[in-house]
Amino acid sequence: MGQRIVVLHEKDNVGTAVDDIDVADILDYGMGERRGSVTAADRIPFGFKIALVDIANGEDIVKYGEVIGSASRSIRAGELVHTQNVEGGRGRGDIPASEGTRARRRTSGKE
Amino acid sequence: MSILGYTRSDGRVGIRNLVLILAIARGPHFVAAKICEQVRGTTYFVAGDEDGRDSDDRLTIARVHTGLGSNPNVGAVMIVCNSRTTGYPELRADVLASEIRKTGKPVEILDLEKCDGGLYGALGQGVRVARQLVVQISRQRRTSSDFGALTIGIKCGLSDATSGLAGNPVVGYAVDRLLDSGGTAFFSETTEVIGAEHILARRCHDDTVRRAFLDAVAKTEEAAKATGEDIRTINPIPANIEAGITTLEEKSLGAVAKSGHHTIQGVLRYAERPASTGLFFVDSWMSSSSLFLGYAASGAQLIIFQLGGGALHVDAALPSTSTGLVAPIFYATGNPRTSRNLKDEIDFDSSSIIEHGTLLAEVGEQLVGILSNVASGTFTKAEALLYQDPVDVYLKGPQL
Repeated sequence: MGQRIVVLHEKDNVGTAVDDIDVADILDYGMGERRGSVTAADRIPFGFKIALVDIANGEDIVKYGEVIGSASRSIRAGELVHTQNVEGGRGRGDIPASEGTRARRRTSGKE
Repeated sequence: MSILGYTRSDGRVGIRNLVLILAIARGPHFVAAKICEQVRGTTYFVAGDEDGRDSDDRLTIARVHTGLGSNPNVGAVMIVCNSRTTGYPELRADVLASEIRKTGKPVEILDLEKCDGGLYGALGQGVRVARQLVVQISRQRRTSSDFGALTIGIKCGLSDATSGLAGNPVVGYAVDRLLDSGGTAFFSETTEVIGAEHILARRCHDDTVRRAFLDAVAKTEEAAKATGEDIRTINPIPANIEAGITTLEEKSLGAVAKSGHHTIQGVLRYAERPASTGLFFVDSWMSSSSLFLGYAASGAQLIIFQLGGGALHVDAALPSTSTGLVAPIFYATGNPRTSRNLKDEIDFDSSSIIEHGTLLAEVGEQLVGILSNVASGTFTKAEALLYQDPVDVYLKGPQL
């Protein structure tokens, strides 16, 4: 087993676990010229994503070098990145079109 | 790379040699199913109810019948009907038969109303004719053809992180090799290109294809919004989210890797047959109960179902068995845990890319080799089961 997280593009701010990762595990990664290390702040199960850097509320989540959604609250480096802190921006019937792709739920809408 | 297949009189190459029994409407369903139980080397198709459907949906059902009948894996066809001249004009037995006969293969019509002895007389007559057809087509031999004689339909299912990391890119490698050889490939799942359509749009052959592609995606996204729901309560499906996929965009970006790198030659409707070889996007629902049937009707001899499976914890049953009807389903995975948990079901394991850092091209060449074996007659694991899941023709409604 080489790296325990995989980073797919130099622009990515998340990595993908290819092993079950425990809190406080130190994870080295490389992508092209980029080398880095992050300490897990949460358990990150196989196949789930970890923040490589601090991500502000509303900032894009980037994987494959592409936007896969936006942070619904501020995320610290090492935290699990999943539905509890990320909103999708596409195909959203639960938000008015005027809000654009920024995913913010209507308070009157269903959760 | 070559395969051993059945070269048909229209020049296309079958990788199986089946007698297909088409049941036109539900009445003949019973007869078709019972003939299949009695006669080796047969399979049957019955569409859902055509009554009260508009001409667009009826034409879709007709395309599935004629497309399956024309599939080169089918050596001969028997149409079972209540009467060859009643019913909606698109679905008359003589209309379907004449379309399938353009391929040059034998087509027999078993008309229940014209058989002596009622239903059971028809059943006996059907068994007799089906046996004759099976013996007749068994005289054909496999001969060598190019790998590019294949049309392969691809889909990913139970997607997880390994789908985008290993499973789908390896399938994409095999698709590139097939297209390099002059073959044809189908990919689909319109909902699951939302968020990645800009990548695929760059690969469309010209502006006409690009407009058709982006229009199909836009219509599907509009339909998603019209539900009033967050798409994440629908797709990614719960199993995707449980396995670590967070948004539809993320799922889509992992999914598009399975289509390789070639130019997209066109956008096909469900069960539409392409006018040329090459890579085609099929505008369809993603369900494996429906998409594989449509791929087979579009002419695919073989189907690759690329599983993530990260949410599976035991040797669960296959997501879909024999829903290509005449086109075998080949199961692949890039997830080492899925490969271990589903070892009795998975035909190809590309997880060494994740576990050992094996090069994509090395694993991809292995896949190409195994696909050519399957095209030459090796059974897929799912194909060895005498079981066929129910299938759904992708219809748009309304039902009136």
